[in-house]
Amino acid sequence: MKRSSLLAESLAILWKELASELRRRVALSAIGLFAVTTLVAVAYQIGPYGLAEQDRPFLLSALLWIILFFSSMAGLARVFVKEEDSHTAPTLRLAARPHAVLLGKLAFNFLLLLALQVIVVPLYCGVMGLAVASASGLALVMLAGGAALAITATFVAALIARASGSNALFPILALPLLLPLLVAAIAGTRAAVGSPGLAAVLPALRAISSLGGVTMVTALLLFPAVWRD
Amino acid sequence: MRFEGVVKRFGRQKVLAGVSGELRPGRVLVVAGPNGAGKSTLLCILAGLLRPSAGDVRYLKGDEVLPREAWYPLLGVAAPDMALYEELSALENLRLFARLRCCHEGDEPLGAALEEVGLAATHHHKLVGTFSSGMRQRAKLAQAVLHRPAVLLLDEPSANLDEDGHRRVGTLLERLKPATAIAVATNDPREMAWGDEKIELAG
Repeated sequence: MKRSSLLAESLAILWKELASELRRRVALSAIGLFAVTTLVAVAYQIGPYGLAEQDRPFLLSALLWIILFFSSMAGLARVFVKEEDSHTAPTLRLAARPHAVLLGKLAFNFLLLLALQVIVVPLYCGVMGLAVASASGLALVMLAGGAALAITATFVAALIARASGSNALFPILALPLLLPLLVAAIAGTRAAVGSPGLAAVLPALRAISSLGGVTMVTALLLFPAVWRD
Repeated sequence: MRFEGVVKRFGRQKVLAGVSGELRPGRVLVVAGPNGAGKSTLLCILAGLLRPSAGDVRYLKGDEVLPREAWYPLLGVAAPDMALYEELSALENLRLFARLRCCHEGDEPLGAALEEVGLAATHHHKLVGTFSSGMRQRAKLAQAVLHRPAVLLLDEPSANLDEDGHRRVGTLLERLKPATAIAVATNDPREMAWGDEKIELAG
């Protein structure tokens, strides 16, 4: 029997995720709620003039990633658990290759995170009066950081979905993988805010790409066993 | 498909104690037994969704033994614990699984598959989440046979179905039987009548 290509299978799963999410809006609602709440809380308490000038690049970069991180985790972590909860996981397991499931769900999580960044980052910069010296540098850090965050969150979500009491496991498994990634993303954002050109963000981009790359390779190697056994 | 001495334990509880049998095209194997006897567990093991604690399940294509990964495209499974996506319509569900299984040749065959199990065209675009349990069962059966599987595993296939649904499942099995190895797990006497061979699990 002829098989679909990996790309075709991954796109079919991405389409399913998008259609489901647009109809139910579970992840979108959770992400939207966290993003708006944290953004308003930060803006209300600190605002554009609440920090000393020399502290602004670092603290505002850190706050931006805290908002992005908590908002995204509310939605990304459920991508596999919802399949187990709704009993669609065995049906999908029999029909699709494990790598297609991983790549389709990863693409969905990345798009979700990208949409969050497109809305939150300009809004945050405007509300907090954050002037960015290198807009292209910031865009690259956001893109790389978003991709690495999506890879890590998707992989950890796959691991916890097969464990009972899964939601409690997420922070335990995710912390050592996400912490260095967040540190690098904050450093990259601070560099883009403070220095024009791309040279300043390159060390952070290298760190983010390495962390994301290692997690992606690990996920590709381990996911078939995680998903099917 | 041959299975020999299949044992399954969940912790200390032994659910299956050395079950053996064979699935061949042209024959319907009925797996019977009381509730908790392990009928669904055996079907999950045959589908490769569960690993047996002991024993062997082999999928043979001629003399060649296929690896587990190669079984999946050849299998069609419908079981109470396997659901379709509630937020997609019946047709969208079938389109998704047809694309994943590389048998999507337009919506016409998908509509025909739904009609064969008794889901009229008026229901094709309705979300599965709005379906009754009987309609969901019909959609699941259509999904299971869509890609003309070599092995069809059905767990209580006419559960929640009315008389028309039960008759349609029987007709479907008769149509598929010559080219498909079929196993039906059931304790419904009407479904047992479809079988050519029977394994009675003790429980």
